[in-house]
Amino acid sequence: MTLARISCFVFALLVVTMGQACAAVFYPSHFTLANGMQVVVVPNHLSPVVSQMVWYKVGSADETPGKSGLAHYLEHLMFRGTANVGPGEFSKIIAAQGGKDNAFTSRDYTVYYEEVAVDRLPMIMQMEADRMQNLRIMKETAEPELKVVLEERQQRTDNSPQGRFIEKLQGRFMPGHPYGRPIIGWKKEVERLSVSDARKFYETYYAPNNAIVIVSGDVKVEDVVSLAAATFGRVPKRDVPPRRAFRPAGKVGEETFVYRDARIEQAEILWRFEAPSYATQKEGNAYAYEVLAEALDAGEVGLLYKKLVMDLGIASEVGAGYDPDARGDADLTIAVSLRPGQSYKKLQDALRATLHDIAEKGIDPKSVDDAKRRLRRAAIFAREGLAVPGHAFGMALTTGSLVSDVEDWPDRIDAVSVDEVNGALREMVAAKRQVMGALLPSSRASALKGRKGASGLLRGAKAK
Amino acid sequence: MKKILIFVLAWMVVFSAAAHALDVQEVVGKKSGVKAWLVEDHKLPIIALRLAFQGGSEQDAADKQGLAVLTMDALTQGAGPYGAAAFQQQLADRSISMAFSAGRDELEGGVKCLTADKAVAFELLRLALTRPRFESWDIERLRAQQLSGIRHQFSDPKWQARFALYSQIFAGHPYSQRRLGTTETLKALTRDDVKDFAARHLARDTVTVAVAGDISAEALAEALDRIFMGLPAKAQLNAVSDVPDFGETPSVLVRREGTQTDLLFALSGPKRDDPDYYAVEIANYILGGGGFSSKLMQELRDSKGLTYGISTDVAPSQHVGLILGHAAVANAKTGEALDVIRSTMRRLYGEEPSVRDVDAAKDFLTGSMPLALTSTEKIAALLVAMQRENLGRDYLDRYNGLIRGVTAADIARVLERYFNPDKMALVAVGKPEGAVFSITRDLAKE
Repeated sequence: MTLARISCFVFALLVVTMGQACAAVFYPSHFTLANGMQVVVVPNHLSPVVSQMVWYKVGSADETPGKSGLAHYLEHLMFRGTANVGPGEFSKIIAAQGGKDNAFTSRDYTVYYEEVAVDRLPMIMQMEADRMQNLRIMKETAEPELKVVLEERQQRTDNSPQGRFIEKLQGRFMPGHPYGRPIIGWKKEVERLSVSDARKFYETYYAPNNAIVIVSGDVKVEDVVSLAAATFGRVPKRDVPPRRAFRPAGKVGEETFVYRDARIEQAEILWRFEAPSYATQKEGNAYAYEVLAEALDAGEVGLLYKKLVMDLGIASEVGAGYDPDARGDADLTIAVSLRPGQSYKKLQDALRATLHDIAEKGIDPKSVDDAKRRLRRAAIFAREGLAVPGHAFGMALTTGSLVSDVEDWPDRIDAVSVDEVNGALREMVAAKRQVMGALLPSSRASALKGRKGASGLLRGAKAK
Repeated sequence: MKKILIFVLAWMVVFSAAAHALDVQEVVGKKSGVKAWLVEDHKLPIIALRLAFQGGSEQDAADKQGLAVLTMDALTQGAGPYGAAAFQQQLADRSISMAFSAGRDELEGGVKCLTADKAVAFELLRLALTRPRFESWDIERLRAQQLSGIRHQFSDPKWQARFALYSQIFAGHPYSQRRLGTTETLKALTRDDVKDFAARHLARDTVTVAVAGDISAEALAEALDRIFMGLPAKAQLNAVSDVPDFGETPSVLVRREGTQTDLLFALSGPKRDDPDYYAVEIANYILGGGGFSSKLMQELRDSKGLTYGISTDVAPSQHVGLILGHAAVANAKTGEALDVIRSTMRRLYGEEPSVRDVDAAKDFLTGSMPLALTSTEKIAALLVAMQRENLGRDYLDRYNGLIRGVTAADIARVLERYFNPDKMALVAVGKPEGAVFSITRDLAKE
């Protein structure tokens, strides 16, 4: 650490209770290899272990229409063998080293990650570099894997009323937009994905100049950079097509909808509003939205909880979620669970009235201050998490933000004013793009009418 | 892979892992007599304390199911001079996390804070444990939340499977009871019930404590006295017996609309203090605990694409040892999946696993230990478990030896004793095809 960094760190420790902090969260080192691959290193000496995350700048939003689910399918195929590692062997080898590994696909990125004892870092880095260029996609393994993907869709969505509800909500929220379709893909399109589709996608997007590796753990920066150069650095760069700019999503049709299913016992309401992402924000207002979400949510001291759960007793749980790490527009979603014995229509009315009321009166300075302080402190606790820097830098660098945006985050939150938070709230409540969905148990009446979303009791009986 | 290994050898010197022994101290509060294990770590200004009181939801009377959970949730809803909102505000203002819950065998909880806030955090913990207010209005709100939780359970096929299974294999034992309660029992709980439960179960002689992070042994000893001195010296627990071995158990189908069937199966397993426990962990890893490396995953997912995931776990409780397995499969494929599960188990049961498989299991179990120690909270939680299971302060140092010391004969013995597929208790939730079940039930809805 340089002298400047050390005194900054000490300063942060001493003055953390005074609410001032240096611009720093994880103290990363950031490099770019000759072939364009980005490397971020965050030392953390709490335990002799290391987390490695490889983030590819491609996700479901980059799929061509008609081939939804391809990014996620390829994620599965990345475990099905390379020239050097047999099908299914990747995870077995990591496990034999006492490590954990997995992957996930999102709209704007696909991520592969491992956690192992630090002396295994050369192995896992070489293995990721290997499957970045040497993946073998073959019919014998690709076809059963497609079945697994369909089973996964069954489990998460088709067989889950909550899953189907969320899929419907998002589809209505951003019709005709890549973010409006499910990451796992529409069933009919996934069924038709071919081996050559997967190969083309791999060859197009999986290149070192389209990826970032983030290593966090019991390491020295210089060692990791040398290792990265000797592994990822040897993968030839490729021409990757520029990411398509998003066309605006279609208009929202019905702003309110109801989804019923006999398997649902606990009614819930989700209210989704358009909100800026870090990429689409105007004058940095995404930070105001973050403070807003924290003030509205915040466990039992959140404004919505206090009104809907404590005062009115009409909800049993409330939450608000907002994730500004996206290439396109993001959303702020409020989720409320109906208190048993209450009517969902009353809850909907109370929710609307409460939010409009808060927007009109404005959130008070103390609540804004409290929210800002909680967010800044969360950054201190985050330093303990092994894979937290991996997520923070990965989400940032794949969606158009910089390493410095992550490190400056506490200061930017601190700079948000009460007026900005209330401006964000008024803008959000008045947004044209908003959808409220209610997930409800089905009544006997609606089941007999054979309404869509009901468990299919009627249809099932007839099919026999 | 050879290419990769050659490469790796060249880098071994650079990334060698230093031997990292966790220094576990025992700290005793002189006045209260309460003991705690401590791992000091001053790299970050964070402290995590975890605790557990003996006796969880198994302490609920049959007509008071849900009481342990309700009581523990109520501890942070107003204590001492603070009402619920004020207490929560105190926590939120300093980003102190405090939460309590009730498991089957113990009442758990803890607090996590920045070093600068430890005096306040410990004082709030003292109040929550010794002076909870249990105001009626707050209990009503918690009751409503718990009722929501019960309703969520009804729509969760995994919960439906567990409930059906435990009703069978734990019939007549408190373990067959519902931790959150039934709609009826939860609605009948009173404020007096809650006060009584807390008074009987939160005591100094049944608490286990562990702390990790930025605090010295001296400071912790003082804090232990301040936090726990106000608790009664002795708890009053209901005696709970061990669960008798479940013999032949009829298979159960719980009918549920949908496209998939959830399968849950159980075998008798070792308790935590069984000398063969480590051999069972290894055998289980090979069968279904080893994620993508396990036999069950290879057969069901990799080669036949029948499921997105199948796993088995060694799941001991204080009064019973269990091995539990779960998979979700398409309705039409259930018969086939069950056949593959049984034949995979039978193969393992009948033959000795290969040296390669045993070594891979041992490699994983020993190699993954450091991953359990990556935060103050995780370390503190592990130390509580180590104390409750009487594993000794040097357990982490002995662990590798315990695993490596398991022999082929040990594994053969435990496979014979525990992994017989004919002794499996089975529940399916869904609309399975191709399989026959002895009992058919509807979903639990109360």
